[in-house]
Amino acid sequence: MSARHSLGCFGKGLALALTKPYLAVSLWLLQLFLSAVLILPISNSLHDLLDRSVAGSRMVANPDYGWWETLQREHPDLLGNFADLAAGLLTTEGVKFSQLSELRGIGAAAVSLAFLAVILHAFALGGVFGTLREPNASLVTFGREGMRRFPAFLIFTLATLAAAGFAYRWIFLETGQALRERMTRLDTEGKALAVTALRVAALVLALAAIKLLADSVRAIWVARPDLPPVSRFFAGVAAALSRPARLFGVLVYYAIVTAALYVVWLWLDPSAGGEARFALVPLILTQQVFVFVRLLVKVGYYAGVSEALTRAPRPEYSYLPSSVPESAPAAEPRARDEGAVEGPAGGI
Amino acid sequence: MPVGALAQLSPLTPPIASYEISCRLDTARKAIEGTELLTWTNRTAYPASTLQFHLYLNAFRNTLSTFWKESRGEGRRGTPLAESWGAVEILRMTLQDNTDLLPSLAYIAPDDGNAEDRTVAEVRLPRAVAPGETIAVAIDFRSRLPRVSVRTGYNGDFFLAAQWFPKVGVLEDSGWNCHQFHFTSEFFSDFGDYDVAIDLPARYRGRVGATGRQVEERVAPSGDRIIYRFRQASVHDFAWTADPTYLVVKDRFHEAGLHDVDITLLLQPEHSGQAERHLKAARAALSGYGRVLGAYPYDTLTIVDPPWGARQAGGMEYPTFITVGTSVSAPSSVHSPEGVTVHEFGHQFFYGLLASNEFEEPYLDEGFNTYMTSRVLAAVYGPNHPTLSVFGLKVPLGIDLHYPVDANRRFFAVATRDIHATKSWKFRDRATYGAASYSHTALALATLERLLTTNVMDRALRLYADRWRFRHPRLQDFIAAIHDVTGRDWNWFFDRTFFSSGSVDYAVDEATSVPSKAPRGLFEKEGTLAEGPPPELAKRRGYDSIVTVARRGETALPVEILLRFEGGRTHRAVWDGEARWTRLTATGGPKLLEAIVDPEEKILLDADRFNNGLRVEKDPRAATRWTSRTVFWVQNLLDFLTVAW
Repeated sequence: MSARHSLGCFGKGLALALTKPYLAVSLWLLQLFLSAVLILPISNSLHDLLDRSVAGSRMVANPDYGWWETLQREHPDLLGNFADLAAGLLTTEGVKFSQLSELRGIGAAAVSLAFLAVILHAFALGGVFGTLREPNASLVTFGREGMRRFPAFLIFTLATLAAAGFAYRWIFLETGQALRERMTRLDTEGKALAVTALRVAALVLALAAIKLLADSVRAIWVARPDLPPVSRFFAGVAAALSRPARLFGVLVYYAIVTAALYVVWLWLDPSAGGEARFALVPLILTQQVFVFVRLLVKVGYYAGVSEALTRAPRPEYSYLPSSVPESAPAAEPRARDEGAVEGPAGGI
Repeated sequence: MPVGALAQLSPLTPPIASYEISCRLDTARKAIEGTELLTWTNRTAYPASTLQFHLYLNAFRNTLSTFWKESRGEGRRGTPLAESWGAVEILRMTLQDNTDLLPSLAYIAPDDGNAEDRTVAEVRLPRAVAPGETIAVAIDFRSRLPRVSVRTGYNGDFFLAAQWFPKVGVLEDSGWNCHQFHFTSEFFSDFGDYDVAIDLPARYRGRVGATGRQVEERVAPSGDRIIYRFRQASVHDFAWTADPTYLVVKDRFHEAGLHDVDITLLLQPEHSGQAERHLKAARAALSGYGRVLGAYPYDTLTIVDPPWGARQAGGMEYPTFITVGTSVSAPSSVHSPEGVTVHEFGHQFFYGLLASNEFEEPYLDEGFNTYMTSRVLAAVYGPNHPTLSVFGLKVPLGIDLHYPVDANRRFFAVATRDIHATKSWKFRDRATYGAASYSHTALALATLERLLTTNVMDRALRLYADRWRFRHPRLQDFIAAIHDVTGRDWNWFFDRTFFSSGSVDYAVDEATSVPSKAPRGLFEKEGTLAEGPPPELAKRRGYDSIVTVARRGETALPVEILLRFEGGRTHRAVWDGEARWTRLTATGGPKLLEAIVDPEEKILLDADRFNNGLRVEKDPRAATRWTSRTVFWVQNLLDFLTVAW
């Protein structure tokens, strides 16, 4: 693998995503509708707490830490331990799954919504991968492909989620627990930070491997309808194992571009400054444009993964018939769950 | 010895319990063998037929000690206690005439009757010590240090020897005050003069710190050992440390009107970039505390930065010697290590000079000191910022704390679980002990300062500090100082804040303002009743406003209520806060804009300051903007979760 190759795949993926912006729109709408479930409880709670509060006028522009602290203490029913869980994900101890039981109100709804989002994402991924492979696709293709792949992709997604959960537990939580006593005996904090960095790096690598394996299986699942399901699955695994560096490179470029987008967002911080900077409607529009751009990059990543798995045929083994007789049988028998594909299946 | 050092070696107060100690550190066995000569004077009005001693290293003797049972195996920050055992054994105890006291030694447990606890011992004297009489007791002891899990011990080559020698208790007119070592308590001792010689391996040369001034450094004849001698008069404890990796930084504090102090900072090499932060904080504390409470009277201050593996030794105070703690990633906008440095230095006053009983009135040192720490930090460093821990690295959130003392507010929910004026080991748990003794007391004193004004509060603090320097004050002595400064009785305030577990919460429950309506009904007109008001009443005038302020907490404190009207008019009222609610009405006036209870935010004990103000008209801007922000980040969070799988 070369960096240029990964970059090329990611670049081609981004270009493909730009030609099919409705994919990003679809993902954006899915996320917006999911988030909308929380709009009313959040909005009602905030209006109830702030609209007539003298403190509210101080908070149009800037956050008030005292208010946030008081809110969590005086209204534990609103969020439960949501803030602790979110912050806990970044601690050396991590978050145990048993802590989910302390979620309340909006906090509990947000986590439930996240599970729903994961499931809907299985549908969306089927749509995205299917649509990316069809030259003349449309939003209808997205829906059709999403539904057609949904059972298989849901299994992949749940299996991946479970694998990620296991990785978090066994690579991060359990090592943290096992090393806890030894960590306290180290003579410098630098060494302790290095141990933590190794744990985090191992976790990130494991999660990246799980994700790339899953995405590879998904891509092959869509690209090789000629194979039976078990073969498609193993072909996906084999494809990931045969091009790990290239796939990893695409993921790294995706992470870099996404991180850069967040850095730009946090630097510009259009939410801050109250009405002096952005009025409410332009602010909401800016926020949604940001989400859309991020999703465009996300679609670009999936297209990049497909691109990375595409094997260019070597010329000496290529045979291109001058014409295909109309009566010629289909070269690629379809599996039972595959319908007619309007475009070429691709060269994977 | 420098001439300037003579002052610290002379007693600042008549000694009660003085010690000459000669000890030897065995680094392989993590043990200290020593001989001490205790010179003790009975300053009570009654003869003493016994002596009681603290043997606090025995708290780490086994899991049957009171300390271990109370801790349930967890250390100060919730980390498991290391199963590394410590103990102190008395090998010999004789009077000047060689009377052996050891046969009469018995372990007692005055606090909980735990027969397995060996942190307090009593010996019977052959003859009672008369009031004013002084005796000398020679003691040989062997201390085995635990690996640091609470305050004292070792980690690798690092040693921090605290509570390491047999120390006599405090004899009061009512008898011995000599408590066991508890999980949630610190210490209580009498003042005296210390002269301590420490024999260590030569590799510790120049890397030793202790209470008082170093008066001697001598290489042992064998060449592989070095002996340090430290002396300090008029203190009530002695601690020392040694670590061959210490980075030693020296500084001198000088400020007109205050005592000059030589500061020694023993820093871990990985924190070398933070030396000036520690020293600046120490200078700020010497100045800030000294200006309010009178000059720090000692010549030296030693600041110890324990290594990573011995962090549990950090954040402690001993006379002229404090342990702090920092992180390699200490953001400059966050008051750390400044906060802990200022706080631990502050204990030189609230514990050191004002030697209150930390067992029985823990708020007198921790709470008063937390309050003063907040004041010094606010004056020198401005607003603090909360941090987020990102895999061990501290990242500031970039949000100001309204008042530095506000950092204590997060403990409100815990603080009300117990009466605040509780003996330290009788709190429900460590969290409650901390919340009540540190945080709630600090907020109560900050509230008191705002009720009294800072000037009056400072005068009261100074009077209290001057009266009780080198003595053992109690809370009533501080209340008396306030009384003497203000000429008023403030017992009610302490009854409601220190001797109560009630919460404070005032809220504006209702604020309305509607156009005045002409009266309706039957009115007398020319001697008869007729429908409709007379012309002078029929004319509409202004607005009718109603404000209801409620006391939602159990504790009542006097509060101000501010009403703001259109046109810039305001109205202030004082409410004693005793009833559950009060109502203010205004008829025919300008339109009311908002009502605020406690507008100057004097009552920092108010658990929810955000219900203190109510606007008549809604202003949805903040809620709408924060909804959009929240939904935006929920979208991002969902994307993060889904992008992964």
